[in-house]
Amino acid sequence: MLELKHIHKYYNSGTINEMCLFDDFNMNIEDGQFVAVVGSNGSGKTTLLNLICGSIDLDSGSVLIDGKDIGREKEFKRNQYIGRVYQNPAMGTCPNMTIAENMSLADNKGKMYGLRPGKNKARMEFYRESLKQLGLGLEDKMNVKVGVLSGGQRQAMALLMSTMTPIRFLILDEHTAALDPKTAELIMELTDKIVREKNLTTIMVTHNLRYAVEYGNRLVMMHQGKAVIDSAGAEKSTIQIDHILEKFNEISIECGN
Amino acid sequence: MDFLITVLEQGLIYGIMALGVYITYKILDFPDLSVDGTFPFGAAVTATLLKFGVNPYLTLLISFAAGLVAGICTGLIHVKFKVRDLLSGIIVMTGLYTINMYIAGTNNVPLFSVNTIFRNDMLTGIFGDKIPQWVDIVVILVIVIICKLLLDLYLKTQSGYLLRAVGDNDMIVTSLAKDKGNVKILGLAIANGLVALSGSVFAQQSRVFDISMGTGALVIGLASVIIGFSFFKKLSFVKTTTAVIVGSIFYKACVALALKVAGAEATKLITAVLFLVILVVSLDRKKKVKINA
Amino acid sequence: MKKKVMAVVLGMSMMAATLAGCGKGGDSGVASGKEKEMYTIGISQFAEHGSLDNCREGFIQGLKEEGLEEGKNLTIKLNNADADMSTANQIASNLAADKVDLICAIATPSAQTAFNAAMEKNIPVIYTAVTNPVEAELATEDGKPVGEVTGTSDELPVEAQLKMIREILPDAKTIGILYTTSEANSVYSIEKYEELADKYGFKIEKAGITNTSEIQLAAADLLGKVDCLTNLTDNTVVSALPTVLGMADEKGIPVFGSEIEQVRIGCLAAEGIEYVQLGIETGKMAAKVLKGEAKASDMKYELVTESSLYVNDKVAENLGITVPDTMKERAVESFDQIVEKK
Repeated sequence: MLELKHIHKYYNSGTINEMCLFDDFNMNIEDGQFVAVVGSNGSGKTTLLNLICGSIDLDSGSVLIDGKDIGREKEFKRNQYIGRVYQNPAMGTCPNMTIAENMSLADNKGKMYGLRPGKNKARMEFYRESLKQLGLGLEDKMNVKVGVLSGGQRQAMALLMSTMTPIRFLILDEHTAALDPKTAELIMELTDKIVREKNLTTIMVTHNLRYAVEYGNRLVMMHQGKAVIDSAGAEKSTIQIDHILEKFNEISIECGN
Repeated sequence: MDFLITVLEQGLIYGIMALGVYITYKILDFPDLSVDGTFPFGAAVTATLLKFGVNPYLTLLISFAAGLVAGICTGLIHVKFKVRDLLSGIIVMTGLYTINMYIAGTNNVPLFSVNTIFRNDMLTGIFGDKIPQWVDIVVILVIVIICKLLLDLYLKTQSGYLLRAVGDNDMIVTSLAKDKGNVKILGLAIANGLVALSGSVFAQQSRVFDISMGTGALVIGLASVIIGFSFFKKLSFVKTTTAVIVGSIFYKACVALALKVAGAEATKLITAVLFLVILVVSLDRKKKVKINA
Repeated sequence: MKKKVMAVVLGMSMMAATLAGCGKGGDSGVASGKEKEMYTIGISQFAEHGSLDNCREGFIQGLKEEGLEEGKNLTIKLNNADADMSTANQIASNLAADKVDLICAIATPSAQTAFNAAMEKNIPVIYTAVTNPVEAELATEDGKPVGEVTGTSDELPVEAQLKMIREILPDAKTIGILYTTSEANSVYSIEKYEELADKYGFKIEKAGITNTSEIQLAAADLLGKVDCLTNLTDNTVVSALPTVLGMADEKGIPVFGSEIEQVRIGCLAAEGIEYVQLGIETGKMAAKVLKGEAKASDMKYELVTESSLYVNDKVAENLGITVPDTMKERAVESFDQIVEKK
């Protein structure tokens, strides 16, 4: 279980984009939950992810994983428990390394990076099999540099790589936003499949309200550092996109957007 | 012929340094200025050890280790004290000037009367008192090939993968739950180790350590890497490490040629022009390839 | 792919071996007794610099006096390393590869690299402007060459200089010296000064710099602590001498030089050696070797023992210092004006 307790985060610079802050924010995420987080720009949803992952520091409060406070741990240490896929497809892979090299690199997460051969030959068949399931033909391009792949292909790889080793949480940071609608759809279906298969506890920030309604078993709408909608389970399954949109417009007008 | 051998010798020696610069500049994307200090650092350590009668081949390893330490310093200053990359290199380079002077005891140490990797009892034992000249180039070639192959091998290990990843996209390293700072430090260490090793070979070949020998080392290294890369970009069967070494030979050929034709006055300008010609020629070919494709 | 790489590596090593094999055969054509029609020599000069240029001109003149004239029976390959070690090395290797009859090396790093490149090809090296050939391992303690390498030393007449300063400034206590820590010649001269200063009742204050940009700071600091400055033949300091002279002038502190050019541009006086003369001596040594009259390895390196006094009366007048008449008479050359640059 992931618990956020009494989170405080203030931005000092005080520009328009950074006026949102957390003032005693609390949230619990149960194991097995797939939380879709929506909200307007500056509502704090990406900041929330960054606070969980340690990309930015907390002012005060705690982030607990199974009761253990990781709120002061360095970002790279927290990544032992966390897999993250970014909005920019270039961020989840190494462009100058081949597909096989990228897969081997990700597969070794949590272990020592020593002087054994970098390319894990024994697992090559497994990589090929996993890539095949993406249905993008990547399994035939094992020795192609990732840099020449399309955004969608790279994002699919990033998703595969971040979930390859056992993790406690999967963090999806608007991971379909930079893709064309068709590819976005594909990646979203893939995400759903992987999350179900591995039974991953997932937090997904998205701008796409339809995804938020269709996927996941909990929906949170953020506004000015607070959760204005938070519905899970049966309640979530009855939620209609119109309802969300209505609320969304309401808060948007409030902000003057 | 002798002229070509000379170019080859010099190019290969500086090729080792270029391998180091390749790691920092191309793999880590880190403009490491400490090179100007670590090149003479390796030479100073070597000069002093040779004076004490240490086995010349052992001095190669010790210089490499000394370079490792210098690289770690640059890395720590950059990563732990959050000093900008250029500045960390400058700090280490500046500090090393005094350290080099201290280690060598003076600013100029001639090595005519000591054993070197090119002139020693073992080689005298094999070839007699007059060691043939080709031994020099063979010794250099062996060292360069060992360095190149070891570096190639290392870049294929898990640790090598991580090193390549940190320069490529350091977010990946973080997301693999590894401290990207430590990986950078490791890369700088290996790079400066190679540079110091190159300084060691250079000192033993020219049989003198001089405090000023590091001036412009980074420029030579960078030029070698860039020449090597632009020349071999389209030849995929040539490994990048090989390209870098050949780039270094090309660079030295330019300088030697300029010195040969120019006499005293215009050496630098002619070197610059030759350098430009190489780059333009290689660019030109790239364009043609594009048109053909 | 591996095969191709191996092929490249193999190809390279084979090429190297072939090249080396070719080179081995031809031992250089050192003059062996009988005179040749035409000689080719290489000059490796370490840096562009007043006294080194004088050396070079003297050297060529010395050869001429011995009947070896450029264009007639002599070809000169002139190279300048621009104070860069790796270039000096390259120059030496080039000259050795060209199998010149003799290499003339000007300044210590050039002499060392030339000797290293030439020794296996039996090309004699004649050096000049090497302050301490023994420390540079070009000669043994008793002055004998370590191989086919000999020449002339430009060791400063430190004692004569100290004596002269004492004569001109009877009350001075401290002498300041600016020098570059990377220049072997300077470090050696400083040691000499420190050794002999006591004898003439002086204390030496030295300030070491690493490049030209530090000279103003070091000079300002030094000028606050000393009664006069004296100059070495330090390449870096000499090139920035006008700056130092300007700063010293403001404080009314006299600066002594180490050779004629420095006195010409505003040093009060100098007990120096004549670099052109030094070059001529060196040229004559080279001529002997070329003609086969002597082997370089049999000739001890030579020192200029006589120093010459140069005085700048205009500077003395500006500073309000009276130079004793005996000295004025002794001076080889006196200047009555300050020349900006040669």
